[in-house]
Amino acid sequence: MIETQIAGIGLEGGLIQALSDADRRIAEGRLVRQAQSGDLFAFEQLYRENHRKVFALCMRLSSDAALAEELTQDVFVRAWQKLGSFRGESAFSSWLYPLTVNVALSERRSRRRRTSRFFATDDLTAFDRPPETRAPGPEAGFDLEKALASLPPGARAVFVLHDVEGYKHEEIAGLLDMAVGTSKAQLHRARKLLREALES
Amino acid sequence: MTCDEVDGRRDDYADGSLSEGEFQEVELHLSTCAACREQERRLRLILAEARALPRELSPSRDLWAGVAQRIEAGRRGRATWWLGLAAAAVLVGAVSVSLLRRSDPVPVSVSAPGPVTVPVSRVSLPREGTTLGAAEQEYERAANELLAALQDRRQSLSPQTLANVESNLAVIDQALTEVRAALGRDPGNKDLTRMLVSAHRKKVDTLRRVVRLSTSL
Repeated sequence: MIETQIAGIGLEGGLIQALSDADRRIAEGRLVRQAQSGDLFAFEQLYRENHRKVFALCMRLSSDAALAEELTQDVFVRAWQKLGSFRGESAFSSWLYPLTVNVALSERRSRRRRTSRFFATDDLTAFDRPPETRAPGPEAGFDLEKALASLPPGARAVFVLHDVEGYKHEEIAGLLDMAVGTSKAQLHRARKLLREALES
Repeated sequence: MTCDEVDGRRDDYADGSLSEGEFQEVELHLSTCAACREQERRLRLILAEARALPRELSPSRDLWAGVAQRIEAGRRGRATWWLGLAAAAVLVGAVSVSLLRRSDPVPVSVSAPGPVTVPVSRVSLPREGTTLGAAEQEYERAANELLAALQDRRQSLSPQTLANVESNLAVIDQALTEVRAALGRDPGNKDLTRMLVSAHRKKVDTLRRVVRLSTSL
């Protein structure tokens, strides 16, 4: 009881979330300016506000909790290094999430190079899986997160960015350094595989 | 339009990006093809689930300490003039407390946090070797100083923010009361002692952050 209460307190979600919308915008702007001037405490507040969303995105892009935690840390270290380039014309999160995608997918690319497993983004047949590896289970028990984890990385990344995060194909193409047509093809592939996974 | 042609247009149809003519052709095909309607239904279900996924997930551990360490390491690696500033900006001070002996008064080992570059950070916390009783007094004194600072800045925070802060503080105070009562029944219990100090830390940490935040508004 006591432990539960204590654990329930804390600032993991960040204090800004407790503010009204108007206060939140002002507070975020000031925190960014303070962080840009080298104030690590202010940057910690920005971390507290955003790290769960960053972690969720890293988790879905990597499908590996331990790696997603490392990537989340990488994202905020990179954000600190590049904070000077943020001009405050958009919300901090709007600047941070493309950075997250870049960090997560750079890691995937470097890992791919290390393991010599290369999936050409235009060669979607490389993502085909044999029928026996398709996610089984009745539709009622369909778990999208698990089904996502079973997707080929490229198709998963496009699906997450387009259908979960709401990015447009043009934005995805820029983030993933691919043609718009490739992004659409990857999305088609991801959705098809998920429809198959939904099939009992 | 054939089933294959519909399959090639299924994503644009679902995303609402088909031309009016193609949209009508797909609609016509779906009205007569049960198999394609089923595929369409599955896609809609998947897209609805994707939109409903939680946008936030919690990592299994606090990742900030690692981030701060790497940032600090980067700062230390820069020019000499930058080193002094970096050292002064170590903000991730943590008060770690462990019960040493089951004796009265109970000694606790406390490592003080690093300096924080805001006025509220001048509030000092218990030093190493402080007894539990003395440590509690120090935490309470620190909390009172921060509460006074917060009182001075109340006007900079919205009523909603203040209500949330006060609600959190009430929970911490209730926890402190319950742990103290439990310690009264079981003096020297290490777990309870850690919980008591942890609750004090959370209170001071919460107040410190709120006061700091209020100065940024």
